[in-house]
Amino acid sequence: MHRQHIQWLIERMAGWATEPALIWNDCTTSYGELLERVRFWNAFLDEHRVAPGEVVTLEGDYSPAAVSLLLALIERGVIVVPLTKAVEAHREEFLEIAQVESIVHIDEQDRWQFTRTGRTADNALIVALRETGDPGLVLFSSGSTGKSKAALHNFARLLEKFKTPRQRMRTITFLLLDHIGGVNTLLYTLSNGGVVISLRDRDPEVVCQAIERHKAEMLPTSPTFLNLLLMSHAYERYDLSSLKLITYGTEVMPESTLTRLHELFPHIKLQQTYGLSELGILRSKSKDSGSLWVKVGGEGFETKVVDGVLWIKAHSAMLGYLNAPSPFDAEGWFNTNDMVEVDGEYIRILGRKTEIINVGGQKVYPAEVESVLLQMENVVDAVVVGEPHPLTGAIVTARVNLAQPEPAQAFRQRMRAFCRERLASYKIPVKVEIVDDEQFNARYKRVRR
Amino acid sequence: MQSTTVNLNRSEVVNVILSALRDVLESQGVAELPALDETTRLIGRSAALDSMGLVTLIVEVEQRLEEAFDLVVVLADDRAMSQTRSPFLSVATLADYVMQLAAEQG
Repeated sequence: MHRQHIQWLIERMAGWATEPALIWNDCTTSYGELLERVRFWNAFLDEHRVAPGEVVTLEGDYSPAAVSLLLALIERGVIVVPLTKAVEAHREEFLEIAQVESIVHIDEQDRWQFTRTGRTADNALIVALRETGDPGLVLFSSGSTGKSKAALHNFARLLEKFKTPRQRMRTITFLLLDHIGGVNTLLYTLSNGGVVISLRDRDPEVVCQAIERHKAEMLPTSPTFLNLLLMSHAYERYDLSSLKLITYGTEVMPESTLTRLHELFPHIKLQQTYGLSELGILRSKSKDSGSLWVKVGGEGFETKVVDGVLWIKAHSAMLGYLNAPSPFDAEGWFNTNDMVEVDGEYIRILGRKTEIINVGGQKVYPAEVESVLLQMENVVDAVVVGEPHPLTGAIVTARVNLAQPEPAQAFRQRMRAFCRERLASYKIPVKVEIVDDEQFNARYKRVRR
Repeated sequence: MQSTTVNLNRSEVVNVILSALRDVLESQGVAELPALDETTRLIGRSAALDSMGLVTLIVEVEQRLEEAFDLVVVLADDRAMSQTRSPFLSVATLADYVMQLAAEQG
């Protein structure tokens, strides 16, 4: 049996046996208890003959059972396919794509159920990974356009960076377990003796309550959530003084949201993160808490900017997609499709290349326009998209959520006046839709469709 | 489509276009609004608007017609662009074009 994959982590955790590792449903599990559960799962997996290299789905959240099972699966050298409720609608499709052979489903009471699918994985990448004996991880890209792609990682390579000791933090696990950011947060926290604070819901009220109750120090989240937090004023109803660090990523941060956040919380460090399901999470450093300029890279990552697009070469890069051709060029570079501005060592992320709106030959980045709209009175959220138009090729359309009802015509007039001093005329939304439904997905990321 | 459009008359359409034009010019920071009437040119050398202004006006008129009269029309499409006399020449031609599209919807 292969048991050396996370020996270092298991040994570290044993050293913190009596200290808290995980808070779930307001109950604390210590590192010792978590390790006991890992041993339980080892026996369970033996009993169910789960072999190294087997493709196993872990369905669950950051509960004691799910977290300890993840560790046991990595230790065993299994290829783990974490899935959460966020992808429920695609469950069957994802199980098929990843050629999942067995499933451990963990429910809301932290009870589990083991099923074999009857499938045998024979994908060439999976077969090759099995031969190395290393554990694997399959992550699905969000697939905002077209089909989701399944990225197969050698988990051992993703784990290497966690051997370097870093800050011990009481951390809210906001990002989900089937997301590169979620996996990263979990492993970072456990490998430094921090506390994983899980959430029953990702509503601003619930998140603030968890921060107060469990004295959270770190909140890794998305700009969309931070905007909701500001709009909800939930931060006024809870004591958030334990919070030292908020990290944000997964989408472009609207400048106005960052500015507002920094004014409200001058003592909290605001740090941008950058990562992709295909490459892992890069080390990053924001110029300062109020700045969108960020240095990305770190050990194991090389970056370059070609025609305004960020390319990355990563030691921890995935082995490939299970259901698509390799996206890497001959030298192993990956085109992120993120447009960036460069200033010395720093970059500023402008938006996805595919989301640029071309108005009469001039480029409009949705995030820049959204940032302005979010500063308007009565605007709760804003999503900007392009729409084809015969006169200018495309027009800028804004979909806004308002706090209080307001006549559409009056809103448009007010918006044009507001934008005129802040945006070039071709960037000002021509069409406005006032919408009632939330415009973000289960991962609190704005949906521009 | 909507049957309410039968009641639409041309002077109402002209008023919608003129008020939209006034608002668009105003939001573009035009200090002194020119006299606006049916003969006001929308494109060409003496036009009241620049190209972004024209697009904004067209979409604004579309949105107002929908909000006020439940009339859903696409004023700028391949058909409009291929007319021998552009519907965007003046306030009058635009109003005529709206009336034509509305009549087709019956």
